[in-house]
This record gives sequence, structure tokens and C-alpha cells, in this order.
Amino acid sequence: MADATQLPERDGGMSSMAPPRSDRSAVAERYTGAAVRRTEDLRILTGRASYVGDLRLPGTLDVAFLRSPLAHGRLLRIDTEAARRARGVVAVFDGAAMAKLASAGGGQASELGSAEAGPPSFTLLATDKVRLVGDPVAMVVAETRYLAEDACELIEVAYDPLPAVATAEQALDPASPPIFDDLGSNILSGPTERQFGDVAATFARADRVVRASLSQHRQQNVPMECRGIVASFDQASGDLLVHISTQGVHGVRQQLARQLGMPLERVHVRAGDVGGSFGLKFGASREEVACAAASRELGRPVRWIEDRNENLTASGQAREESFEVEAAVTNDGDILGLKVKMVIDSGAYPGIAGELVGAVQELIPGPYRISAISFSGTVVVTNKASYVAYRGPWAAETWVRERMIDLIASELGIEPLEIRRRNLAVRGEPPLEMVTGPSLAGVTARESLERMAELVKLKEFRDRQAAARREGRYLGLGLATYIEPAPGPRSPGESQDPENWERVRMRLEPDGTLAVFTSQMPHGQGHQTTLAQVAADWFGVDIEQVAVIVGDSDQVPQGFGTGGSRSATMAGGATLHAARALRVKVLEVAAQLVDASPDQLDIAHGVVVGRAPSAPTLTLAELAAAVAVGGRLPPGVDSDLEVTFAFDGGESGWSGGTHCAVVEVDAGTGLVNIERYWVVEDCGELINPAVVEGQVRGGVAQGIGAVLLERSVYDETGQYLSGSLMDYLLPTATDVPAIEIEHLPTIPLDPDVNFRGVGEGGMIVAPATLCNAIADALSSLGVRVTEQHLPPARLLELMGTVPA
Amino acid sequence: MSGPSQAISADEIITIELTVNGTPRRGYAEARKTLADFLREDLALTGTHLGCEHGVCGACTVLVDGEPARACLMLAVQAHGCEVRTIEGLAPEGTLGPLQRAMWENHSFQCGFCTPGFLMQITALLAENPAPSEAEVREALAGNLCRCTGYQSIVRGVLAAIGAPPAGG
Amino acid sequence: MKPPPFAYRAPESLGEALALLAEHGDDAKVLAGGQSLVPLLNLRLARPALLVDLARVPGLAGVDQRDGGLALGAMARERTLERSQLVRRLAPLLSAALPFIGHPAIRSRGTLGGSLAHADPAAELPAVAAALDAEMVVLSAARGERTVAAKDFFSGFFSTALEPDEILTEVRIPRLATGMGVCFMEVARRHGDFAMVGVAVAVRLEAGNIAEARLALTGVAQVPVRAIDAERSLVGAAPDPTRFAGVAEAVADGLEPRSDLHGSSGYRRQVARALVRRALAVASRRAAVHNSQRDLGEGDTG
Repeated sequence: MADATQLPERDGGMSSMAPPRSDRSAVAERYTGAAVRRTEDLRILTGRASYVGDLRLPGTLDVAFLRSPLAHGRLLRIDTEAARRARGVVAVFDGAAMAKLASAGGGQASELGSAEAGPPSFTLLATDKVRLVGDPVAMVVAETRYLAEDACELIEVAYDPLPAVATAEQALDPASPPIFDDLGSNILSGPTERQFGDVAATFARADRVVRASLSQHRQQNVPMECRGIVASFDQASGDLLVHISTQGVHGVRQQLARQLGMPLERVHVRAGDVGGSFGLKFGASREEVACAAASRELGRPVRWIEDRNENLTASGQAREESFEVEAAVTNDGDILGLKVKMVIDSGAYPGIAGELVGAVQELIPGPYRISAISFSGTVVVTNKASYVAYRGPWAAETWVRERMIDLIASELGIEPLEIRRRNLAVRGEPPLEMVTGPSLAGVTARESLERMAELVKLKEFRDRQAAARREGRYLGLGLATYIEPAPGPRSPGESQDPENWERVRMRLEPDGTLAVFTSQMPHGQGHQTTLAQVAADWFGVDIEQVAVIVGDSDQVPQGFGTGGSRSATMAGGATLHAARALRVKVLEVAAQLVDASPDQLDIAHGVVVGRAPSAPTLTLAELAAAVAVGGRLPPGVDSDLEVTFAFDGGESGWSGGTHCAVVEVDAGTGLVNIERYWVVEDCGELINPAVVEGQVRGGVAQGIGAVLLERSVYDETGQYLSGSLMDYLLPTATDVPAIEIEHLPTIPLDPDVNFRGVGEGGMIVAPATLCNAIADALSSLGVRVTEQHLPPARLLELMGTVPA
Repeated sequence: MSGPSQAISADEIITIELTVNGTPRRGYAEARKTLADFLREDLALTGTHLGCEHGVCGACTVLVDGEPARACLMLAVQAHGCEVRTIEGLAPEGTLGPLQRAMWENHSFQCGFCTPGFLMQITALLAENPAPSEAEVREALAGNLCRCTGYQSIVRGVLAAIGAPPAGG
Repeated sequence: MKPPPFAYRAPESLGEALALLAEHGDDAKVLAGGQSLVPLLNLRLARPALLVDLARVPGLAGVDQRDGGLALGAMARERTLERSQLVRRLAPLLSAALPFIGHPAIRSRGTLGGSLAHADPAAELPAVAAALDAEMVVLSAARGERTVAAKDFFSGFFSTALEPDEILTEVRIPRLATGMGVCFMEVARRHGDFAMVGVAVAVRLEAGNIAEARLALTGVAQVPVRAIDAERSLVGAAPDPTRFAGVAEAVADGLEPRSDLHGSSGYRRQVARALVRRALAVASRRAAVHNSQRDLGEGDTG
């Protein structure tokens, strides 16, 4: 082919391995890699997006929950009579009534992997016990939310308070009152114990052991849109139609069918626009299941739009983990091995904390040559909101490792940059895997560090820092390097797990539109644009001819939904392969219709064209119309213009990079100014650079929030103190600096799909980056930073200006 | 409105007449109904979003008599006789105004939930200060929370709308 | 988070408003800008039986010069005051403080009188009122008009001298002496949040030394703190950093700020120390600039 598709010059490495393509349109590569404007924005920018709270189903009733004011107590008695008789009230359900209508499952625990069989057992609405402030105790269904809240105030509940298990320390104490009677103690799992490599020998040959107790504080997702559901049960047909703000419609569907005891095909889940989630909105929460059950009981649509107080208090929290760490090091700065003991504060009702021990354990070596790891994890329950997935749920592995590296650097008197240089694995040289197993193929962490070193000019900074110190000013520079499984290298046995397969269904519609059905559930990631970019390039249409359909369990293939930084690889890859396969199919059909051979045909701009200048052309609409009438094609030619491709990620790999921050700490007030923030990252081949950079910046912003502003605070009685946005502080436009981003050339591992995810990386590494910078600023005062939350008051305590 | 000595009832339904996006509208609501809920439920203008209902997040920002206001912190009845502008009124249906277009081209938003509040606040900012610096833009928008973007793309969009590209990315 | 039920009236005269409060007193709340009250209603922390909306009462939003100083209607919006050249000229300390109040969408609705009557211990305007010796004009149907000085107006945690049947109608701000340099400084968790500590300072220099000083703090007590002793100790002193550090130390030592999840008492005391020192330095520099401009005949800088 004369105009064989020479790949345009792209990231280093790609062109050297790519042969001329015959399986792709000659006009491909128009969209992939470009900052194509998002189709979503047309409705978002004009106020015509449709979030679940915007739906207006006739006859909808509104829900308000009565919630426990106590962290821990027995629920002795509940009287809903007065509430039932209140104006506009249609029904009131207490825990016992709701337990007859639906069962409680594992919430995020069952959705994201843990077993739901076995203890602890609990009900959708509290029956015998309340286990956190905000635990839903009763549900009022009324004509309006205003009236439902009025009626909640008429419900009388008698509690017998129990001592709150307000900290992990208390939960570990066998004398603490069990939060779940059938759990026996407040230890949900562990301590586990795993060893990788020869830990004893490694520690024996170390020059010294550096020790630290490190902690991450409780934080939460806080999407701008709270949770929300409109559940509508049709008593005539027995169908349940659920509109919900979610990250995955199939997970919700399966859970509702199970907990309501309904056949799966009678449960239909839809999602429109979703106002952010960051891991919160997986599966159906207890409140959401209760709404579905209420709708079935009442035969009317039942709507619950969570308010911000509920969202902050009860929807879920994350990250509260403490670590005892020992690092075996040489005096020259080799990090030989780590011993890590982790305790996770899982809150009361089951979340995903049980999954995290394994994830943190596996990822903690990161891209470094650490040859021995011993890891122990314990998960405890406390009287707090459930531990839910939050953007990079395992992020503690980077926080702990990168903070520890700087502590080691400080103790040895070596620059943190040098310690990293010394210990980062070299691509292509042993070790080729982390000691915990995952392959390090394609990792460019070392390259990212070297590029960052060029950008930040450490020597000049150290001079400036010293001069500032002489003036009584505290400047600091901090680095952190990470890798993120986005989705990560394939490991043995993974192909047996349905979650590791992503399906895309692709269909040529009668009007020539390319319809792409995906289980991806965008909530800011722009999949309706990015997947259209890939589909358009690989199939041969203009992007305007592509429609990406999401958010309908009746239409989209089974799948996990959006999360885990996997959509670029998994959905992008499935889309690529599906488009390629459908193109082949369509060209075979076209070949029959125009009496040519398929390899003489191409699809360009939605038209089947021949390679010869005089060849007849056929629009896709004409082709589809021709095929719709049976008999045009000889037997054996597949006329079904649809393909479903199941993709397991191919030879996928890591995203990762290095972040660096320069900060100044005001010694009088403890306020931190972030002077500069750099990102050097490798997230594979970019589909849409603007979308990628948006994800990075958003993640970094949350990391800045975590360190300087955000903390989910419980007092010693388990009372929740951060229940409004005046107390749970999100970063604003004056808190987040301009973040400078460079992309590294990536090492392609797969012949076709080298997109990698990037959704979580910013949030995974930013807290360590910022803490390292602050610690560097205060290093002359001998301050040792071992915690992640560093608000101004805490900094002045660490600096000795204010008593702790 | 009734006089002071008449019996006063919390159930009383108040007639509220106001202009919304240039069109006279009328609704009936209890005194306690917020302007945000009145716009969303009674006038079917769901573009104004509720993110917190205590005046912090700014997602509900609308223009009242030309000034930015948090619709969750106003009672609907307080808007009687006022001119209210919401995101639906920024441009004729099916079109994008210059601000919206600049934000589209600059990938300013992601999930979109905060967007209406930002667009109304930016509209108010540019009406008062047609050529703000980047720092002025950030300060003016510090009362609008976004959880997705880290703000840089929003600031870039505003600066592009006024024809002044930012120093950084 | 929806408000509980309440009745509502929007009287069209001050007399009508006062009569409503006289009749309903404890069960009624005055609605001014709503930026403090409506959140409390949404959270169901306030449950008045009746809301009396002052928005339609004429004559309560004036921004006027009177007797050399300012006469500001209680319903004057913070944003209006922020834009006012008259306020900038006659009460620059007020102009300096206004941008710290929340955000533009808050200030477009929030009112001077509403903020003062709400008396949040971390609000900016009560401290400015205290620093400037503002006088609050208060009206009731039963007792007519009375004037309350700022030092007597703020009585405790979210409490003022206002009786349940009274309305704050006007705030009179005497003009400071010509040539005072002003400075308002605040430490908050984020731009626009309530002050953890805020200081309102004005300094006048004569022949290089401090001739007069005003110093008030917010966020450090249940009411704004007017540091009279510190002011007196500054008179006659040179405006040097050591003196300011000493004054800041003395002021901070006398404070017992509250501890909350944003900062301990010790933290707020330390921040007060830092801000007093810095604000005195800035205000003094501004006063010196004024004096040198005056000496060069460069016009009235107020």
C-alpha cells in the first residue's frame, strides 16, 4: 500500500517497534493524542446536564433519614406514630420494618471484593444498635424533603448509650465493648503476617535500622454532588427502575437484585450525569437499598438526595491508617528492607478496608530495589463512618515509603534526591520485579526523577534556602516518586477474575453512527469524548459520528464501571480492539457489496473507499441499509454489524512519576505557601492530554487538601465534628497553585494498547510530596514529620512555638 | 402582604413574582423555601445546583439584580420583585456564549456539578472587572469549590475568555 | 437540610417592623442579609416562629457623611460599602476589612447591621466597630431610640445589647484623625473563611513617633477585644519592631482564646502576637507615607 499508514512521529520508542498498519484507517491518528473538546461540555456549560437530583418523575416522594446522635448505643425503643400522622407523610419505616423488606449486604465491601457472608451482620436501618453518629435509624417518605425532615423530628427514640470505641487503640483493646455482637471483638481481621525475601538476613546485615511511627489521618471523598437515588418500582410489571449517582450501574444492579431478592432482569439501573465520586459511589449504600425497598412497598418513585451533613457524617471516610516502620539501611544509603505493621481504622459498617492490607503490602516497595519486606496488617472496627474507596485507596504505600525515604535521608545526612537515585530500580536490570511480585517492566520512575532533578535545580534551591533561613524564613523542597497500577502489569491468575476483563460493545447503526456501549461510568473523566476519539481513529469515522453510551444496565456490557485508574487501558483498549474488529467485519461486508477484496478497501470519514482512485464509494449508512435487507450477502458472511470485545488489559503496565514541591512555612502563623509544584509523569500513550492533565491537577489538589486542610474529626465520645464544609475544609482556587506538568515518553509494552490510567496518581503521591517539602523547610529546627495532616496550628506545635 | 396585626401562619403560601432570565415568572411557596429549591422545583430550572445548603460551596450561585448571590442562602420570597439570572440564561438555548465557549475550549470543567455556580460568579466578576489578573480571578473564585479540576483549567478558561492567556499552563 | 416552618413578614415601614417585634419579641428574628441566619435555618439550629424581613423598610441602607464621620444604614450591603469612595475616605479601616468578609456572593447580600447584630466572635466588622468607637443606633416601639457604644454593644458569645423588640437601624462611625495609617490583617484557614485571629489597627505619627493608636482583635474572645492598654503604651513611642514585638507580646498574654478543631488557644495567642506585630508595622509605614506626602503637599490621603 503506497500510503501505508506510517505512524506519525510520537513518543520515543513507539515508532521503532511499529510496522506499517493495515488494520487501521489511513486517516487514523487524527484524534488520539489531541486535546479534543468534550462533547459533555455542551450540556454541562449550559446547565442542561442531568444529575439524579434533576429528574422529575411524576409522583416522586422524598426521603429523610432520622439518624443516631450517638456513636454507640443500644436502640431500646422507637415510636414513629406521630411522624406517620404528620402532614404530607406517606410512610415511615423503622429498622424492623425495613428488615422485612430487604436484607443488608456488605455495601462497598461486597461491591469491591470482600466476602459478604459471615460476621458482622447488620440491618439496613439500625434495629438493636447504633454504631456511629449518623447511623440511619428510621426513614420518612413524604411529599417533600421539607415535610420529611419535619416528620423526622416527631420520631421518638430511646437509646441506652454505650462507651464509644473512638480510636483504633481502643478497638485493639480486648476490653472495648464489641461494636458487633457477632464479631466478638473489634478486630475485623488480622494481624496478618507475610514475608518477602530474606527479612532476617537483610536486617542482620544492615548498618542501622531507621524507625518511625507514621500515620495518615481520616479524610473523605467529598464529591460536589452528594449521593442520590430515585428508585421507582412498577407494581404492575414487577420492574424496578433505579436512577442513581454511581460509578458503575451493574454493581448497583447486582446488589439491589440480591438484597431485594429480585431477579436480575427485573432490575434496571440508570445513571445520567454524575457530579464526582472519587470512589464513594460504588454499589448501593444501606440508605439506597432502603429507598429501593420502600419504592417496592409503596409502588411510587422514592427519591433520596443526600445532604452535605449526611455526606460528611455518614457516607464514608478513608485513609485512617497507622504504621510502625523499620528500615534496614546501609550508611551509604541503600535501603535493604522494610518491616511494616499497619493498623486500619475501618469504621463501623464494612467497607473496603479488608482489601487494603494486601494492596498496600504488595505495592509498598514501589519502583525501588528493596529486597526484603515483612508486612503485618490489622483491620479494626470503630464507631465511625465506613472505610470507603477514596482515590488510590492504597495510597498509604507511597506516603509511608516516600516519607520514610526522607527520614532515612535525614538520619544519614544524605540528600533525599540522592537516596532515591541510589535505590530506584534501573529499567531492564535486576530486580525486574518487586520483591512482592509485580513486574517492573516499563517503569520509568528513574527517568522521571532525573528529569525532575533537571527542572528543580537543587543546588540553587539549597543556596536560596540557606539565605532565607538566615532571614528567619523557612523554605523547603520535597520530592516523591511513585508508581500506580493503572491498571498495572498482568499477574498470574488475573485473567480468571471477571473484574479484570473490560467489555465494549460496538455497533454500526442504520444511520451510519458508530455506537459504543461501555460499562464506564464517567463522573468527570470525559469518556464520552476520549473513547470516541479512539473509536473514531480505529474505525474510520469522524468523531461527530460516534456516540458513546453509558449509564444504562440494559444497554451497556457487564463491567466494573469507572475506578482504579483502569479506564484508559481497559476501556480504551477494548474500544480500540472492538473498533478494529468491527472495521474488519464491515470491510468484509463492503467487499461483497462493491465486489472488491477487503484489503482494497478502507473506511475514512465514515465512507468506505477503495484504494484505487476510481473505486466506488459507499457510505456507512448505505452499507447498513443494504445489510438490513436480508439476502444481499452470500451465506457465511456475517451481516451483524456489531462486535463485543472483551479485553484483559493486554501487556499493560504502570503509570508513575515524580512530584516536587517548593513551599514556605510562615513561622508566625504556620500557614504554608506552595511556591511551585512540578509533575513529571508517564501515563502511557495519551488519548486526550487535557483530560489527563485535569486528572493530575485534580488529584494533586486533593493531596494538598489532605495535608493542609482536610480532616474527618471525631472526638473522644465518637461525636463527629466535621459535619459541614465550614469544618471539613476543601482547597479553593487560592490554595492550589498552578501545577507544571511534563509527560515522559513511555515504554510501550503492548503491540496496540499503551494507554495507561492516570486518575489516582496525583492524589497518591501529592501528600508525600508536600509533607516532604514541609519537613525540609523545618529541618533546621530538628522537626521530624511523621503525620500527614499539617495544618498551621500543628506546624507551630512541631516548630516549638506553641505547646502541643 | 398581610399587615402586622393579622394572624401569622407558617403554612401560608406566598405568591412570588420575579423575572428569571428575562422572563416574568410566578410561583407559590412557603416562606421557608429557599430560592435554590424554588428555582429547581417550582420553576424547573435545575441548572442551579445544591452542593452544601449552607453557603460554602457556591454551586448554587445565581445573579440577583446583577449581583452574585448564593441561592441556598436566600429565601424564595426574598427574590420577589427581583431580576434573577441563572446558568440557563447565559446564552440562548442551543448556543454557547463567549465565556462558555472559552471554557469549553480550555477543558475548564470535569464532572460539571460546580459549573453553574462558577459561570455565574465569573459573569459577575467580569461585569465588575473586565480584565482581572490571574490572582484576582483566583481570589474572586475562592468562594466556589471544585473537587475535580484543581482550578487551573477554570482560571485558564476565564483568562482565555478575556483574551489574556495565563503565565503558566 | 431544609429550614423548619416559620411565618414571614416583610414590613414596608420601620414602624410596622417595630410593631411586629413588639408583638412577637422572643419568637421573632430579624432577617437582614440572611448570610448568617439562613444557614442556621437550613441546619435547623435557629427555629424562629416569625421572620421579619427588613428589605422593604426604606431609609435603612444609607451611606452618608454626617458630623464629619459616617452614618451607615444597618441594611447597607457589605459590597456597597466595599465599593464606596466615601467609606474609603472617611473610614479606610472599614474599607480594609471588608474584602476579608467571606466572598463576593456573601457580601452582595450580607449587611453591616446584620453582621454586627449576629456578633460572631470571629467576624471582622465587630472588631472594626470596636476599633473605630462606632455607635449603634437602636430603636424599639416601646422605648424609642437609644445609642449604644461599640464597647457596650457586644455582650458575649453571639450576644449583643439588642433587646428582642429592638432593631439596629444605623451605625455611626466617627472619623479618625487625619493621617492615620490603617491595616486590617487576618489569619483564616482559607481566604474568605472566618478569622482565626484578625486585627484592626490604625496608627498616627507625629514627628516620627506614635501620636495615637487603635488596636482591636477578633477571634480571640467571645467579643471583639479593644486593646486599650496597648494603645496607651504606644503613644509617644517610636514605631520600631522591638516596641511592636513587646506590645504584641503583652496583648497576646492577656488573651484566653478558645480552642477548637482549627486551632488551640495557644495557637490563636501566637497568631495574635504575630499579627499585632505585623499590623502595627504596616499601619505605621502607611502613616509615615501619609505624613511625607502631606509634607510634600501631595494631597489629602484621609
